[in-house]
Amino acid sequence: MKTDNSSWEIGGKTLSSRLLIGSALYPSPANMEDAIKVSGSQIVTVALRRQSAGSNSGGDFWNIIKSLGIEVLPNTAGCHSAKEAITTAKMAREVFGTNWIKLEVIGDQYNLQPDPYETLEAAEVLIKDGFEVFPYTTDDLVVAKRLVDVGCKILMPWGSPIGSGQGLMNPTNLKAIREKFPKIKLIVDAGIGKPSDAVEAMELGYDGVLLNSAIALAHDPVKMADAFRYAIEAGRLGYEAGAMQKREFASASTPTVGTPFWHQFG
Amino acid sequence: MIKVSINGEVQEISENLNVSELITKLGYTNKGFAVAINTTFVAIDSYSKTVVKEGDTVDILAPIQGG
Repeated sequence: MKTDNSSWEIGGKTLSSRLLIGSALYPSPANMEDAIKVSGSQIVTVALRRQSAGSNSGGDFWNIIKSLGIEVLPNTAGCHSAKEAITTAKMAREVFGTNWIKLEVIGDQYNLQPDPYETLEAAEVLIKDGFEVFPYTTDDLVVAKRLVDVGCKILMPWGSPIGSGQGLMNPTNLKAIREKFPKIKLIVDAGIGKPSDAVEAMELGYDGVLLNSAIALAHDPVKMADAFRYAIEAGRLGYEAGAMQKREFASASTPTVGTPFWHQFG
Repeated sequence: MIKVSINGEVQEISENLNVSELITKLGYTNKGFAVAINTTFVAIDSYSKTVVKEGDTVDILAPIQGG
């Protein structure tokens, strides 16, 4: 008997998987393809970069992604201003044929922290232009509020810096965002290192998790993709089931009535 | 001839080329790319009416892996 209510809606699409997967850093294109398939993910992130006329590497990659038949979420990685991000989003819409955009405007090269001011400015312009914006942001509640104010229906706060694998640095802040915006689709994006991090994010009530390095840089990316598939499902089920309250002291689970050899501890 | 930057490399090209003519001259054959000039998107239906000028920065981007 299956008990999970797995179907969910994001950006106008109804999906079953709550795992959003990146397409970078895999040992090979074939490994990437296998890992994405095994993960069960229905949303894959992609990017745009300069390409010379003689190369068709972009076309080869795009053909693999298209053959997977899943949703594509282009990013604006590498952008440092609203203007760059807006231009990249428009280019992505033309190339990939989707109005979805993972809005990523970096404000600091050391920790790749998103720039809230530029992200906000770009989000407002892009939403007015018909984009479904998936903004990469920190776990700052006020920034989240401002993004919602300009029309974002999805927020993607970081777990920790991109590619760090540190897991959830500040679950308290992530929880506050969840409680403040019950109707906004929330995805933890960046910093996930191991399956238990994804479980933790899902147990907080997040709608999904976006990750790349944790799978692509594992010793066996395909097996790790499988592990994350289970982790996302386990975390979601745990959230839906509702965890017990923590107790200060031990409380026996086996009935004490009829205990043999019973004696009172002093 | 005019000097323009194409994907970060300064090149000399003929004057009065529009984007459509430029990308053909550069040898881009497939359609899986998008163009920006001076960090402003140039939509595919504007290629023929957008003329590349001296000092322009042209970016031609194609799909790649991303996180």
